[in-house]
Amino acid sequence: MIPKRFEYFCPTSLQEAISLLGTYGEEAKLLAGGQSLLSLLKLRVADPKYLIDLGRIAELAYIREPGACDAAARTDGPEGEIAIGALTTYAAIKGSRLLQGRCPLLPQTAAVVGDVQVRNRGTLGGSLAHADPAGDMPAAVLALRAELKAVGPSGERWIRAEEFFLGTFATALRPDEILTEIRVPVLKAEKAVYLKAARRPSDFALVGVAVCLKLGRDQACEEVAIGVTGVTEKPYRATGVEGRLRGRRLEPKAIEDAASAITLGVEVSESIHASQGYRSHLARVYASRALQAAR
Amino acid sequence: MLNLDELFVTRKWVGKPVRRDQDIRFIRGEATYVDDLEMECGHVAFLRSIYAHARIKRIDTSKAAALSGVLAVVTGEDVARETRPIVPRAITRPATQYVMAVEKVRYVGEPLVAVVAEDRYLAEDALELIDVEYEPLRPLVEIEDALREDAPLIFEEAGSNELLHEKLEHGNIEAAYREADLFVKERFRLHRYSSTPLENWAIIAKHEKGDDAFVVWANDQQPGRSTTNVCNMLGIPNSGLRLIVPDSGGGFGIKLAIWPYIVILCLLARRTDRAVKWVQTRREHLLAGTHAPDARVEIELALRRDGRILGLSIKDIQNDGSFIHTAGIYGLIKFATMVGCYDIGATRAELVSVVTNKGPTVQNRGVGKPTMIFVLERMVDIAARRVGLDPAEMRFRNFVQPGQMPYSTPSGEIYESGNYPECLRKALSLSGYEEFRKRKEEMREQGRYLGIGMSASIEPGTSNLGYYYTHRGLPEYMGNAEGAIVGVDYDGNVNVLLGSVDEGQGHATTTAQVVADMLGIDPGRVSMSTHLDSLISPFLGHSGCYSNKFNDVDLGAVIMATKKVRDKMLRIASHALGVEAGELTFRNGEICWAKDERRSIAFKEIATVAYKKILLLPEGMEPGLKEIAYYKNPAAKPPSKANFNVQLTHSNSVHMATVEVDVDTGAVTIVKYVIVHDCGTQINPGIVEGMAIGSTVHGIGAVLYEEFVYDENGQLLSTSFMDYLKPLAVGLPRFEVAHVESPCPTTLLGTKAVGEGGAIGSLAALANAVEDALAPFGVKVTSLPITPEKVVRAVRETGEI
Repeated sequence: MIPKRFEYFCPTSLQEAISLLGTYGEEAKLLAGGQSLLSLLKLRVADPKYLIDLGRIAELAYIREPGACDAAARTDGPEGEIAIGALTTYAAIKGSRLLQGRCPLLPQTAAVVGDVQVRNRGTLGGSLAHADPAGDMPAAVLALRAELKAVGPSGERWIRAEEFFLGTFATALRPDEILTEIRVPVLKAEKAVYLKAARRPSDFALVGVAVCLKLGRDQACEEVAIGVTGVTEKPYRATGVEGRLRGRRLEPKAIEDAASAITLGVEVSESIHASQGYRSHLARVYASRALQAAR
Repeated sequence: MLNLDELFVTRKWVGKPVRRDQDIRFIRGEATYVDDLEMECGHVAFLRSIYAHARIKRIDTSKAAALSGVLAVVTGEDVARETRPIVPRAITRPATQYVMAVEKVRYVGEPLVAVVAEDRYLAEDALELIDVEYEPLRPLVEIEDALREDAPLIFEEAGSNELLHEKLEHGNIEAAYREADLFVKERFRLHRYSSTPLENWAIIAKHEKGDDAFVVWANDQQPGRSTTNVCNMLGIPNSGLRLIVPDSGGGFGIKLAIWPYIVILCLLARRTDRAVKWVQTRREHLLAGTHAPDARVEIELALRRDGRILGLSIKDIQNDGSFIHTAGIYGLIKFATMVGCYDIGATRAELVSVVTNKGPTVQNRGVGKPTMIFVLERMVDIAARRVGLDPAEMRFRNFVQPGQMPYSTPSGEIYESGNYPECLRKALSLSGYEEFRKRKEEMREQGRYLGIGMSASIEPGTSNLGYYYTHRGLPEYMGNAEGAIVGVDYDGNVNVLLGSVDEGQGHATTTAQVVADMLGIDPGRVSMSTHLDSLISPFLGHSGCYSNKFNDVDLGAVIMATKKVRDKMLRIASHALGVEAGELTFRNGEICWAKDERRSIAFKEIATVAYKKILLLPEGMEPGLKEIAYYKNPAAKPPSKANFNVQLTHSNSVHMATVEVDVDTGAVTIVKYVIVHDCGTQINPGIVEGMAIGSTVHGIGAVLYEEFVYDENGQLLSTSFMDYLKPLAVGLPRFEVAHVESPCPTTLLGTKAVGEGGAIGSLAALANAVEDALAPFGVKVTSLPITPEKVVRAVRETGEI
């Protein structure tokens, strides 16, 4: 680890962090679990002048189900919600009884992020704010239609997951904002699955598909949301697939047909581990397998 | 082989999986690596070429030199003024190369400028201030690029990009072709991969101004050669270099090439009058820390209708990148065992070493044998299908039989021992070969694709150094040997010093087992420093840890030195006890009279006589109780193209892999993996099993994951472990390892090579298994690695991986 020189800050409250960010703005970088940023620093790909370590802000690590009045404060929020602090580690999410019972997609996804060391250090907020185009957690929050809380000098605002990811390492967060909380719905009738293709278990997804599916009468698809990662410059909602599924019975043929729309309108990326053609193929296979599994 | 009942006074330790207590420091994080040495140092960083092939027009280092904290900035040209060019070992065409780039860069990552600064951060900062003007030249990345007629020359003075082109024929190949009923021919492509030890290269160099001499600490794998090379390059006497090798975190061959950087560090130490330190980063390691060459191989078998192989031809082209020191050696080591485990009467080999703008190549685990056995064992499967035989039966019909041992291959390689049919029989039974084939059919009906593949491979050891000079007159090295010092300390415990180093193989434990049984003591009383110091270690040009030579010449030297010490102890005891030496025996750290054990003398008392009460020594005996011995393998023949053993011991193994292929995603899962291994006498079966499995995982990495991918400009795209994929424990099967024991007649204990076998045999076993699984799609495996993408494309479009 031979990064360039930087100045290091270690605030212990959110307020302090926001004020530091306000002072140093675009020359500063926030450090959460460090599982992405440290690699970039090491290779001198990222060279921020100021590093603001959020690791000591204890108030940002939690998983809880807020009371009704709390949720009511948000007019458009669904009935039951779970709030997760941005600095909650993958390991904490993976091990959370509350999430396992009320929103199992999140622990299921967190369980396949990296390896044990990565899961012990890396955080949900860090993963989302970093916005790696192949991160696992973005796919899950997209499928869950999560809401993300950004706090800045002028107060807080909520951003819908599908409006959060703008491009490779680019999000809707403003330079002076910090992602502090992620709210996901309590799953009731919905079934949710995350499936990931990777060269090795701990690798970034070549393709990752998260499906949240609610079946209605006659096993017809009543509601569905699909989050996709690894396929293009940013994680996205596969609205093309969703549209073909709504109202249809999920016969294998219907699934195949819908899955073929997974890369519709998307510029599929290419790397040494997967060409465009292979990645598109994998995306179809995984969309179809995830839907089968969620059925 | 010695009579072990005569050699050992107890049989308590050799052959047992003794725990590696001597290596506990590694587990506890208490080992001393170069980077752990506490020393005031200047820190070195290298500016490396960003072009694969370019002329260096101008280098401006002024800004870097002016940066506060920078101690020295040295260019390739500065280095070339103070050093001699690198001496090539194998290539036949002239090519001049220095330890840093001069005038031209020939691969991405080639060192251009070295900076010394007060700390590594500053040194890296300084690199960014160096301005290099390049004139890009056409990059030659693949073999085909370099061999095109209009290709520029990478070394102009060579007059060709083929630096070695050798044709070798052994046995009557024309007759074999005449008698053959059919011929099977195929072309294979092997990719670039390497080893990635946990510890990268690390060097500290210090200049002793008063003597104009250097002290170097480096995790060097072959100090015997490095000291020669470094002194020659620097033009200094041998006394001007003291090389110390502390603990080393893995080698696998690639740490044989660290010496060019030792040369650079010495110059920097002299220039700055400071100790200087360089610890290679992982990125540097992957980029320029040496690879195994990629290769194109054409192979042809001349067969009888009954499956007997009469003749074998290969044309082997190696992409040796741009490091002339070792270019060409892969081919020259390969032909020696090209017949593998088979009795093939005639061979023809055309060996070509091509220089390209890829990174440097150097010996990597198995050196060429992984490629050779891969193509041969793929061919045996292909040929079996052609003649309608089961792949196992095809092998049984062609194996060298135990009764033929010692067997001489057409080129003169001597397989001194081995029972190849027995290894295969055992592997077939352990893998449940027959039942599996039924299960495979059932699974196919469910749309699941399973396959089983086997390979039989030779695992040669103890390099007969000099093989690479067979066409250049007499080589600088011949044969193989090692030195050892064995002493009894004042307290009666035993101390061993070896001329070689340890890269993690557990030499100290293995040595302690042998010495313990030779002296009748507990291995806990035998200590061996695996560190090396060229000033005091018993040293030869061959000294080092490579080519699986430890079990042979290293232990040979230990045994011979221990025998000398033991004889002297007996003579001292005989004198002290007044008993004929022939009537004495060793018992629990004492020497006693066989007829009355109460008449005894402890090792400690013997040592006291030898070191302190020297007037009590027998008349005329030298004081001291420390003996040195050098031991050479007795079977080595001098280099000759016509009849030459390139390696001196020959272990073998059969690998049997069962895989399942997901034809929709291309994922290959190893369901079961059986290794039947024969390395002769085992000293520590625990260590042997560890190495058999570890080397196999290396091969699995090569087949399924690891690849240095270059783009068409010669930029390496896999420069971190995110892209250069190592196999993980997750996803590996449980290995079943079994042994056949055919002792080697030409080593003292009957031991043979271990440590490379799995990296050799696993390639074809897995490829054959994948091909078997994909038989319904008619897919042929002719290249590595077998990536999921290639599998899907083969199944859906091309029919070929």
